[in-house]
Amino acid sequence: MKFSRRRSGRALGVTLASLMVFAVACGGGGSGDDSSGNTDTTEGSSSTEAPTTEPAGEPVAGGTLRVGLEADVDGLNPTASALAVSGLTMAQAVFDPLFTFSADGEVVPYLAESITPNADFTEWTLKLRDGVKFHDGTPLTVDAVIKQFEITRNDPLVGLAVRPYYPETDAVAKIDDLTMVFKPLEPSQFFPSALTAQLGYIASPTWLDALAADPTLEQQPVGTGPFKFDSRTEDSVTKFVRNDDWWGAATMGAPWLDAIEFYPVPDPDSRTELLLNGDLDIIHTTDTNQFETYREDSSLTLSIDDNGEEYFLMINTAKAPFDDVRVRKALALATDRQGYYDLFNAGEGRMADQMFTPDSPYYNPDVVQEGNDPEGAATLVAEYCGENPTAEDGTALCTDGKVNMEYQWSGPSVLATRIADFYNESWKDYFNVTFDEKSQADHIQETALGIYNVVGWRQFGAENPGDDRVWLECRNVGGISLNWPRYCSPERDELIKQIANPTDPAERVSLIQQLVQNIHDSYAYIFMTHSSWAIVNSDKVHGMCDRVSPEGVPLVCSSNGRMYFQSIWLS
Amino acid sequence: MRYYVQRVALAVLLLLAVSMLTFGALNVLGDPLFNILGPVAGDVNNPDSIKMIAVAKREFSLDRPLPVRYFLWLSDFVRGDFGVTFSSTGQPPVSGVISERLPRTVTLVAMAQFFAIFVSIPWALITASRAGKPSDRVSTLNAFFLVAMPNFALAIILKYIFSIRLGWMPLTYVADDPLKSRLWQMILPALTIGLPVAAVYQRLLRTDIITTLQQDFILLARTKGLSRRRILLIHALRPSLFSFITVVGLNTGALIGGSIVSETVFRIPGIGSTLVESVLRNDFPVVLAIVMIVASSFVVINLLVDFAYTLIDPRVRR
Repeated sequence: MKFSRRRSGRALGVTLASLMVFAVACGGGGSGDDSSGNTDTTEGSSSTEAPTTEPAGEPVAGGTLRVGLEADVDGLNPTASALAVSGLTMAQAVFDPLFTFSADGEVVPYLAESITPNADFTEWTLKLRDGVKFHDGTPLTVDAVIKQFEITRNDPLVGLAVRPYYPETDAVAKIDDLTMVFKPLEPSQFFPSALTAQLGYIASPTWLDALAADPTLEQQPVGTGPFKFDSRTEDSVTKFVRNDDWWGAATMGAPWLDAIEFYPVPDPDSRTELLLNGDLDIIHTTDTNQFETYREDSSLTLSIDDNGEEYFLMINTAKAPFDDVRVRKALALATDRQGYYDLFNAGEGRMADQMFTPDSPYYNPDVVQEGNDPEGAATLVAEYCGENPTAEDGTALCTDGKVNMEYQWSGPSVLATRIADFYNESWKDYFNVTFDEKSQADHIQETALGIYNVVGWRQFGAENPGDDRVWLECRNVGGISLNWPRYCSPERDELIKQIANPTDPAERVSLIQQLVQNIHDSYAYIFMTHSSWAIVNSDKVHGMCDRVSPEGVPLVCSSNGRMYFQSIWLS
Repeated sequence: MRYYVQRVALAVLLLLAVSMLTFGALNVLGDPLFNILGPVAGDVNNPDSIKMIAVAKREFSLDRPLPVRYFLWLSDFVRGDFGVTFSSTGQPPVSGVISERLPRTVTLVAMAQFFAIFVSIPWALITASRAGKPSDRVSTLNAFFLVAMPNFALAIILKYIFSIRLGWMPLTYVADDPLKSRLWQMILPALTIGLPVAAVYQRLLRTDIITTLQQDFILLARTKGLSRRRILLIHALRPSLFSFITVVGLNTGALIGGSIVSETVFRIPGIGSTLVESVLRNDFPVVLAIVMIVASSFVVINLLVDFAYTLIDPRVRR
């Protein structure tokens, strides 16, 4: 069974949205202020520069690929680690997902052999491939999948994105060693995309048991992937070596590389220097200021994708003064979006009006993100402050005719501070802005707990748009809220429900476009830019796009800064 | 004997004061529960979260008063137990982090000290013997330049010239490389810390050598016809080293401080860069352990310098 991923661009569905949430925040680009310098170009420009398929001759086995990542990870445990782009990239080497996305956007089986729904899509029967073994020799059975599911669901943070979607008991059931059933709370035709990312990376149950006794083992992951753990020095280098017993060698070809070394280099300039100097073979980056450098160097191949996450200002709708839609709209109108793009995006990437680029079939042309309209902002602010000078508890909501607000970002970061100053320039005539720079951990926690007014954020971009529901539904508003803006709309929830079970593809497109309109009308997000991820490799790196599934279906080359290594070889 | 006891007692008091202030400040500035539980620590209306908060408080003694927690921590610390890192994805022991990273910082600081000493002594001898001449003035200018240059700027300049432009030195440190490669990779980071310190040593030693060269016994040596080199190396250098040795000891703390910048710029996973990361992550036990290790090293080295004075000049004991 195949499922269309209509969004153009590339792969990797993210279903376990909370994983992505925390991951986004933990990544070097930041949960917040796009401080890594994400970019956009003027509307209508090219969205994706695909890697060139170089006529490199016959693949050669051997060699060590040196990969420059934007951050290190705390651990590589799919049940508990907050895997952002760097963690997911490393995980691709050592774990195999149950399903993955093909080059044309369909969910295809990988570690799983098949998945079959019942008539009303309330039960999904998963069948695993036979004969697969983990790196530690443990055979892959559904017991491993069930164990991982339960551990993930019970994790206090990662489980936030899983618990609301499954019943407390009997969410999964074993049929035999290789067959099991998933029983989500609600029917969804697109359920398998949930198993393409972190929830689908199956770890050795033996290793998971050992982890309970010794958490330091999180640094030494054990999966079924084409590479296995060799050594790791946190903040310096993590090395995986070829898994000579990889189950996929027979159908997908054995990995060519002897080893992969991952180097976390948070500073994008240093990452570029190391690549240009030959100390790294491949890097990912969102620093658009470097894109032209890469293009000018004929020995480098640049691949850009802006079809993933969006960068936006996010507003807490549960807290005065932004519980009033007029104030949220006023902030949007006051924001100098064009100025932001001109100043911080180096002519790369695109401005965003919504969570889809114009290339996407789900793009709603009627939805335009307002901005650069100070007069409109002035009118709304005057109206609000006239009616609401103080809150019920006596707190001043307005002072001198301006709305009092706080802008929070993750720091310390010179760029993020400059961006905050820039926003203030366009807001200061209508808002009394106080700044709050937090450490990344505090920034995420306070956002999750709703202790904020406005933050910069990077999110959305799931391959299957339905997988972004976790950010949007009423059920995810709570003490710890994955619906960060704490905006509850029963109409939106109903749309999301229908999106999961459309009668035909055209209906799904229409429903998603209605969802886009609903999101816009909430004014909980002020969309700024579509984040541009670039993957840059030297001319000795080949075969990135030669990946196939066990059934021979071509798979995506890269996605949202994440890379895959099974088919890469070095000349 | 009384002198030694007094000095040791003072050192212990100093370390206690440092530990109390650091422990208090870290616990006042943030809630460790957030490090252990993440946002769950703030989800105080959720019964499940409340249970988890209670368990974590009990497990990490966070439900006890601050002074009690301090004494619990202190009693563990003096027995070599640095506690566990506060992380929401598991709490591995701090000692593991320290034992893995401290040797890199010690190596870096030792190399920096080595460079500083072996650059400054010949530099001071040459400039002292040519005091007031144009070469001495140029040297003075260079020394001030190095002293005034912030560590991070020097690191970037050295990296740009020797790694990027000339390609002579590696750009980064790789913890898994063989020892020889790692030592080679540490040369620029060590020079980043060592060169400004060498300039300080040179200024001090140059002045002392110039003073020594004006002593009568140097005049006697000259009249005996000893060579200029012999006078400098044998007769002038040794008596000029007293304050130099003192400053070398005292400067160890500055070198450890310099390692924070150098490790961050050159991506060496030592305790300096770990300290920065832990402060940003509010990982209190790691910060506390590193602060105490650095403070203890500083105090012990200075204690040894104090004791060395008494050996050189017994009058100090009075």
